[in-house]
Amino acid sequence: MLSAGLTLEALLEHQDAGGLTVVSGSEGSWATVAVEVREQDLPDSVTDGLAVIVMPAPAVSWQTDALVRRVRDRGFTGLALTGEPMGAGSRALAERLGVLVMHVDHPTRLARACWQLLEARDALTLSTVQKIARSIEYQAHDLGDLLAHVAANVGHGIALIDREGVLQGAGDPVPDSVLRSIDFGHWLDIAESSEGFAASVPVASRSRHGLRIALHGRNAGIVHRNALATAVEVLMPIVAARLLVDEVESVSDVSRSSGLLGDFLESHGGLNPEVEQRMLARGWRVSGYHLGFRMVGRGRVDPMELLRLLTSKLALLPVDSHATTRGAGVTGWLTVAHAPTAAQLAHHIRALHELHASALSTFPIATGVGSLRSGSDGLATTLGEARDAARLATDRARAGWFVSIDSLGLEQLLLSWTSSDTFAPAAQSLLGPLSETERHTLAAYLDEESSVLATANRLGLHRNTVSGRIQRIQAALGADLSDPETRLALQLACRVSRG
Amino acid sequence: MPLTLHAADLPTLSRGFALLGSGGGGSPHVAQLILAQSDGWPIAVHSIEELEPATPCVAVGYIGSTLLLEERLPDGEPFMPAIAAIERWLGVDTSAVCSIEGAGLNGLSTLQLAPHRAIVDADCMGRALPDLDQISLLVDALPGLVAATPTGAGGVALVHGARPEDVERVLRTATSCNGGWAGFALGGFHVGDLVDHAIPGGIERAQTLGQAMLAADALRPEELATSLHGSLLGVGRVVASTPEPGTAGAHSYDVRTDGADVLRLVARSEFIALVCNGTVVAASPTIIAVLDTVSRAALQVDELAVGKDVIIIGLPAAAWWRSDSRRLARARPSRWGIVGLEEVC
Repeated sequence: MLSAGLTLEALLEHQDAGGLTVVSGSEGSWATVAVEVREQDLPDSVTDGLAVIVMPAPAVSWQTDALVRRVRDRGFTGLALTGEPMGAGSRALAERLGVLVMHVDHPTRLARACWQLLEARDALTLSTVQKIARSIEYQAHDLGDLLAHVAANVGHGIALIDREGVLQGAGDPVPDSVLRSIDFGHWLDIAESSEGFAASVPVASRSRHGLRIALHGRNAGIVHRNALATAVEVLMPIVAARLLVDEVESVSDVSRSSGLLGDFLESHGGLNPEVEQRMLARGWRVSGYHLGFRMVGRGRVDPMELLRLLTSKLALLPVDSHATTRGAGVTGWLTVAHAPTAAQLAHHIRALHELHASALSTFPIATGVGSLRSGSDGLATTLGEARDAARLATDRARAGWFVSIDSLGLEQLLLSWTSSDTFAPAAQSLLGPLSETERHTLAAYLDEESSVLATANRLGLHRNTVSGRIQRIQAALGADLSDPETRLALQLACRVSRG
Repeated sequence: MPLTLHAADLPTLSRGFALLGSGGGGSPHVAQLILAQSDGWPIAVHSIEELEPATPCVAVGYIGSTLLLEERLPDGEPFMPAIAAIERWLGVDTSAVCSIEGAGLNGLSTLQLAPHRAIVDADCMGRALPDLDQISLLVDALPGLVAATPTGAGGVALVHGARPEDVERVLRTATSCNGGWAGFALGGFHVGDLVDHAIPGGIERAQTLGQAMLAADALRPEELATSLHGSLLGVGRVVASTPEPGTAGAHSYDVRTDGADVLRLVARSEFIALVCNGTVVAASPTIIAVLDTVSRAALQVDELAVGKDVIIIGLPAAAWWRSDSRRLARARPSRWGIVGLEEVC
């Protein structure tokens, strides 16, 4: 005989009560439980007892009636029977006598459940924890898979939540009223409402904050609650580890794809079979038309974080898209099978601009978009263009940190690059020591490939005049005009200042 | 002084014997029709004490299917082949007759023999029971008993000094040969033997019960039960009828009372027990009479159906059955292998 306090709800909520169903009656709470093979072995007199009889119930109606009567006469108000289902007459009698009758497929399991709920509260906790441990034995593909294993094993709903609501869950959904009453300030929180209860603890995650893992169920008494509270504490590190594993897996996947992109770009579009194989394995098609883009940070930006955001947004575009980290930014491209019309191309570029705009609200970035190219070479080219465009975009606040190559000619590109916000002031300061005439002369001299004679002809001056001015300019700038690098810098500076 | 019965007493007797049938024994209706044509009226009925104890006696009754009997009606003298065979075998003429079963059809069947033999108001069951080895003379295993039954086409089967269960087995077969029912006779005893080995006063009891029934049409069920010297076991409606698995041909009727009591009326060929809320409140040999609430007619087992409103009354069994545990064992539900119906309050 077991004693303490047991309710019907607690039994029905138990993970393994042997297939218990209520046959007659609706509410039950018992002070003692007696489990016997036969009815005649039950104790003669109890108060508010639950009788569990292991032998199948008689199939004959009056024998069932008599069984119910005798069990009631002994002081039992609950009766769990196995075997043939009870007929309507016996159910009516049970109701009349105030005996709650249940049918159970496996009476010994019900006995164990009663024992756990009454005598061995820790046993229920232990068994719940064991079930969680068992869930780990199964290979889970990801967090959702893990949660599904746990929910199935423990027999309770489980949910990963934050203040906004449920992020991921398995089993029965958490009732809203329970969700609302979860306190995010506590370590272990037991939230309760009329619809059920939830035991939850915070989960540490590198990428997301304010997460909690919750096990929830119907209100079924203190023993159940304690078991789930302990279980959720044990479960928490498993969930946290899974979150971390998922993150690491995604980082390592990105690093592989990033490496592959590097290999491809280093081959300058000339595909070797091994790289091609790896690209195909990833679903990167080189045939068709490609539109490359690159996003780089204008400050400190974690490329992984940026990629995570972009990947989720790219998935919404109705074209084939790929992206991975490269250096301090993210490189990606859109691929279409057939040459798009001008309007379609403009639409794709607009989509990338929107992508840029939405990322801009979270990260300080600049985005460059290459021109439409086809084939393997084309992919390498458009990605190269995107890279250059992105570099330009970092200086172009007026363009919203967005530059698309397709709208610029090569000269325009050069000009747009040299007239960028950083270069223009630098050019002004570089040419600062020179007078307007000297600047004019220098520009003509550099345009005429450093020929004094040609410069003189162009400016309508004597060549000695030109030669003298060049000497002064060299002295004023402290520059050696025979050095090609210096010549290029000065020529660009002249273009900018003239523009 | 012998009890004198008139043809006008037949309906009263019929109602009384129907009550004593406990739902079995066949409807007295056929016997009533046959007797109405008899020219033997009025009929004198003697108590055991009124006759010389050494008078050779024979006990008669229809055995087999009472339903078949209503389809193939008896001719003028259905018991004579069996009685003649017994008399020939024993070499004595019988001058007194009693009934094997003082209930239902057989309660009246003895009266058919009134012109030729003295009618003794005694029978061998005091109610209806299905088997021949439940005949009191056989239960007590009186020595020298001879039982006979026609086998059809002029044949007669006769068993002498056989064990009671063999009388049942052999003559049940003979009854089948005869077409499903037969006029059975048991001889080899005297009127004096009936004192200790039979139930006296069945006809008188039937008449008293019948008269009480006639006077009781307006009575409430409790008053009706009292006037029958019985106890009211329940008033309710039949809500279900269930064949009970593995329990020797038993069938149960779920009867609910206004007070939400759950009554189980358990039947074989008779009503053999009533269980109220899981407690046995009446069981064979106690007579369980089930009356139609509206007509107050005693219902046969096969007349009970879902939806019928019934009054259930327990009438005490003849004291003979309870005077000895061996006798009681022959009439209790366990006699048919039915368990769980043993206790009677």
